[in-house]
Amino acid sequence: MEFSFSSSASKIAHSTAFFSLEGGDVIMLGIACVLIYLAIWKKFEPLLLLPMGFGCLLANIPMSMMASTDTGGLLNFFYQGIEHEVLPPLIFMGVGALTDFGPLLANPSTFLLGAAAQVGVYTTLIGAVFLGFNMQEASAIGIIGGADGPTSIFLASKLAPHLLAPIAVAAYSYMSLVPLIQPPIMKLLTTEKERKIKMEQLKPISQTVKIVFPVTVTIVCCLMLPGVTPLLGMLMLGNLFRESGVTARLHETAETHLINIVTILLALAVGSSMTAQSFLQWETIKIIILGLLAFTFATAGGVIFGKIMCKFTGGRVNPLIGSAGVSAVPMAARVSQKVGSEADSSNFLLMHAMGPNVAGVIGSAVAAGVFLSLFGDVSGMDTHAALAPVIGSPEPGIQAIATVVDAIKQ
Amino acid sequence: MEASVSAAVNVSILAISVIFTVLIILIFTIKTLVKLMPYQASPAPLAKSGSTSSPQKQDDQVAAITAALAAHMGKRPDEFRIVNIQSR
Repeated sequence: MEFSFSSSASKIAHSTAFFSLEGGDVIMLGIACVLIYLAIWKKFEPLLLLPMGFGCLLANIPMSMMASTDTGGLLNFFYQGIEHEVLPPLIFMGVGALTDFGPLLANPSTFLLGAAAQVGVYTTLIGAVFLGFNMQEASAIGIIGGADGPTSIFLASKLAPHLLAPIAVAAYSYMSLVPLIQPPIMKLLTTEKERKIKMEQLKPISQTVKIVFPVTVTIVCCLMLPGVTPLLGMLMLGNLFRESGVTARLHETAETHLINIVTILLALAVGSSMTAQSFLQWETIKIIILGLLAFTFATAGGVIFGKIMCKFTGGRVNPLIGSAGVSAVPMAARVSQKVGSEADSSNFLLMHAMGPNVAGVIGSAVAAGVFLSLFGDVSGMDTHAALAPVIGSPEPGIQAIATVVDAIKQ
Repeated sequence: MEASVSAAVNVSILAISVIFTVLIILIFTIKTLVKLMPYQASPAPLAKSGSTSSPQKQDDQVAAITAALAAHMGKRPDEFRIVNIQSR
């Protein structure tokens, strides 16, 4: 082959990605840098926004084969973990291993606050439908109000995979802004006197109850809403590692190394789905606005229900703990503590707020389960049908459920 | 799937009812569990004696502290006497 310096130099120059760079890619590289900036210098959920921003950076370098859609690319492999429901449930296992359900067990009525905060999910669902999204997309957007990143990703990947990137970015961005979003709403909806209410010390709970609880929740919730079993099942398994006292090594792994590794994979995979084609849409701006609406209504729902509980208990419940009903563990509980101590420096609400906070995790998972029952592929029946030639025909029971679900959908 | 605001409202009412139902079932389940398996405080630890060390161990400690103090103060060990060691 004849060697010419000029033609070779020209060939090298044309093989760089600069010639393939388009306007959309440049904007996305800018957005990636903003996410990295927010993570490092503003400390906005850095554990997630940093790898997510870097994933976005990699995905928008032309010819790099790093977008989630580039079959055979590195981040495409990571993305399989989201597509096949592997990574969000593993994060939930780590969350379960980190979470102490003691405050919730000591005051189970706070479960109601976790349920009330899900109001944000449904007001956003209605808002999303009003803005022109279909029911499945609106459900995936609405779950942002649950303030639970893995649940948002899990549901979006099942109901609206094309909206995964903006939903994940909105969910994690607003979660990091909880200390800014919640206090004004909490102060607006409560009086000074209510904020000063001191709550009784929580009763201690026997270790046996703490061990039986995850098993009971799994049986009750997963039988009622089987679609949510991957999330709730892993959450409760992680908690059982913690409370059983016989799996110290597994507990330690789940709450440290496993959750860290999976966080890196999950955030990079979400970042890799943030390409110009999927992200630079009007839908993204709508989702960002709806996400803020979701957090606002979720906080308001929790606080208003807290006020109702305050009235019914004769002033024994501080309504501020209601705002912790959005998940965002433990940040939302810390916000309740902060606003309470601003009204009275001797008021300690943190442990009381942890009850609705962990109830919010279960509540948002249940909300996701309801959406999956209504609009999703219940119990993986489509997958089961696709695999039928390989593993045989579905069992009669599953076929009967499929018929009922089809009838409901129609 | 066709979506209208009224359908969304219906779905919302249905879904929030399901969430409250599931969580209320859990509340009653927990209350039952707590009643069936009440918390039992672990037995109180034995009252502490004045010193946790055995006499032999205490002698060793006195000797070590005396030697250290003597070195620090530049005195001979028999020039001063340690009369009491108390754990705080």
